[in-house]
Amino acid sequence: MELLSLNDISVAYEKNLILKNFNLHIEKGELISLLGPSGCGKTTTLRLIAGFLEAKDGRFMFEGKDYTRVPVNKRNFGFVFQSYALFPHMTVFDNVAYGLRLRKVSKDDIAKRVTDMLKVVSLEGFEKRFPGELSGGQRQRVAIARALVIQPDLLLFDEPLSNLDANLRVNMRVEIRRIQKELGITTVYVSHDQEECFSISDKVAIMNQGVIEQLDAPAVIYKYPTTEFVARFIGFHNFIDVNGLKVNGEQVTADCPQGLKLSLVHRSGHPIVEQMKAAIRPDDLLIALQSELSNGLGGLTAAELETGWNVVAGRVKVSTFLGRSYQYEVETALGTFTVNREMEAPFETNAAVQLILPKEKVVLVRTKV
Amino acid sequence: MKKVHLWLLLLPGLLFLTIFMIIPIFMTIGSTFYHEGEFTVDGYVKLLSDPYMLKILGTTLQVSFVTTLVCILLGFPTAYYISKTKARTKGILLMLALFPLLTSAIVRSFSWMVILGKNGLVNQFLLGIGLIDDPLKILYTPTAMMIGMIHLFLPLMIISLVGVMENIDGDLLQASESLGASRWKGFMSIIVPLCVPGLIVGSILVFVGSLTAYTTPQLLGGKQRVIATFLYQNAMTLNDWYMASVIATVMIVITFIIIGLMNRLARKLNPKG
Ligand SMILES: Nc1ncnc2c1ncn2[C@@H]1O[C@H](COP(=O)(O)OP(=O)(O)OP(=O)(O)O)[C@@H](O)[C@H]1O
Ligand SMILES: [Mg+2]
Repeated sequence: MELLSLNDISVAYEKNLILKNFNLHIEKGELISLLGPSGCGKTTTLRLIAGFLEAKDGRFMFEGKDYTRVPVNKRNFGFVFQSYALFPHMTVFDNVAYGLRLRKVSKDDIAKRVTDMLKVVSLEGFEKRFPGELSGGQRQRVAIARALVIQPDLLLFDEPLSNLDANLRVNMRVEIRRIQKELGITTVYVSHDQEECFSISDKVAIMNQGVIEQLDAPAVIYKYPTTEFVARFIGFHNFIDVNGLKVNGEQVTADCPQGLKLSLVHRSGHPIVEQMKAAIRPDDLLIALQSELSNGLGGLTAAELETGWNVVAGRVKVSTFLGRSYQYEVETALGTFTVNREMEAPFETNAAVQLILPKEKVVLVRTKV
Repeated sequence: MKKVHLWLLLLPGLLFLTIFMIIPIFMTIGSTFYHEGEFTVDGYVKLLSDPYMLKILGTTLQVSFVTTLVCILLGFPTAYYISKTKARTKGILLMLALFPLLTSAIVRSFSWMVILGKNGLVNQFLLGIGLIDDPLKILYTPTAMMIGMIHLFLPLMIISLVGVMENIDGDLLQASESLGASRWKGFMSIIVPLCVPGLIVGSILVFVGSLTAYTTPQLLGGKQRVIATFLYQNAMTLNDWYMASVIATVMIVITFIIIGLMNRLARKLNPKG
């Protein structure tokens, strides 16, 4: 069931149009992340939903009602700020109780609900502390408790974990996901940490310059990005221009510059259009010496490789030790490729190598949205 | 080693204050208990049983209190507005707010005399629009002193408040709104308590400033005396340095009591201030 929709929303700071004809639909109970580079408009989107910013144009529907002009304090959305925004002059208890007191909940009920909520975020016994006397992770949990205790219809997070150290960040995101699922609260989560978004979300929206380029389940985005921007953002470092696409079911062949012929399996079902590129991750690209091709590699037979299908010749320019693998920058007639390979002895600099693009690993992405 | 260095830095200032302030203050206080060769508290008894003196004390406290209150009421919204503006506008506005401090107290007071006098601008205006038939007596009353001192001390309140307001995280107000508070409610329950430290500093500055101000009450108060002008009269006109010292000591004590009370109030209003 659709809970929330942004329809052709525009938002501007003074004259700068940040969101233009922006659309987003969210289902009840799901956790959706907005992910994208700094300045792409994630916070702006979240603040618009919260009501801190007004739409210049468009409609914001919530539970079938027009919320475009509903003021912040009438929306009943919980907001967790990057800075936590705890009230420094109030104890943990009073911070969490703040929203309940405004709702004229009885004293006994407040005590009970605050205590229960502090239990949920594992902060029993901290009631009398002031925010200044808590660690970053504890503050963060108070902020979550404060937003949850009012039983919000929607929960909004703006990079809630960015001030925490790496370990705590992992623990907290598991916590957030657990609480969110337990209470079944629809949530919009903003972050620019890819792993964080992928690990906790039902769906991820990848944003670029005020536009959502792809909105899908994390696994789908990871495997099948739709656009070049999304692919680059999630770690596809290698791109090849393609022409003359021939589609036969899932089997696609393409002509590339420098006479390279590409054969790939197009599984994503994304529409095939005029301007596309082939993309592949450094982990999926294979690097081998000429002599290693004789048995076939990457779903291609030796004969196919022999006739130039999916093979690019190049020279190793840089090799970097990454721990589990080596990363090579390989210079070819088609530009520089990045490839990872787990192997004892690295290829030497200037070694002549062959790059093989496995059929199943190459994806086609649109160059334009 | 490091500690010694720090002490050395403190030394010149400390020396200056000791020689020119602390020692004289203690000498003044000491002298009030020692008159014509013997220990005595007669000065205090005489002063505090003198209805004229008590009336002056009352007027002084009243003027200082009202001045402080009005400075808070006028200063708070102004300071909040200034604290919300962009850096460049803020600089200009603060400069304008500080302007009264940059003009001489005498010039300022004379201007007020022109404005508040019997034939001053205020009376001319009120007579002109027919609101009153006879000119109001504003000049040479406690009201005139208050107006002059509000003008003088408002900048101190504004800077103290802007100082704390600038450091209040803007997200706090939005957080309160997202939890269901109206703008006004959020402002009163979040911003105001967080401004208490600035409010207290500003109030102490204004109150103590008003309590000890001399030029403005002298010029705008006419025959109406406050402690500072009374002290001056005792010392310079009546040449009674003993009573002047007693009055000075009473002023010092009142000042400390006020500061103490304000700080207690601050702790009550904002335990984490
Ligand atoms: N108060 C403001 N006034 C003017 N421009 C703003 C304001 N806030 C944000 N912007 C601009 O709007 C654009 C989007 O900002 P936004 O804060 O939504 O980005 P973001 O995706 O949240 O980035 P980050 O990951 O850095 O938090 C940016 O170009 C930014 O410069
Ligand atoms: Mg942001």
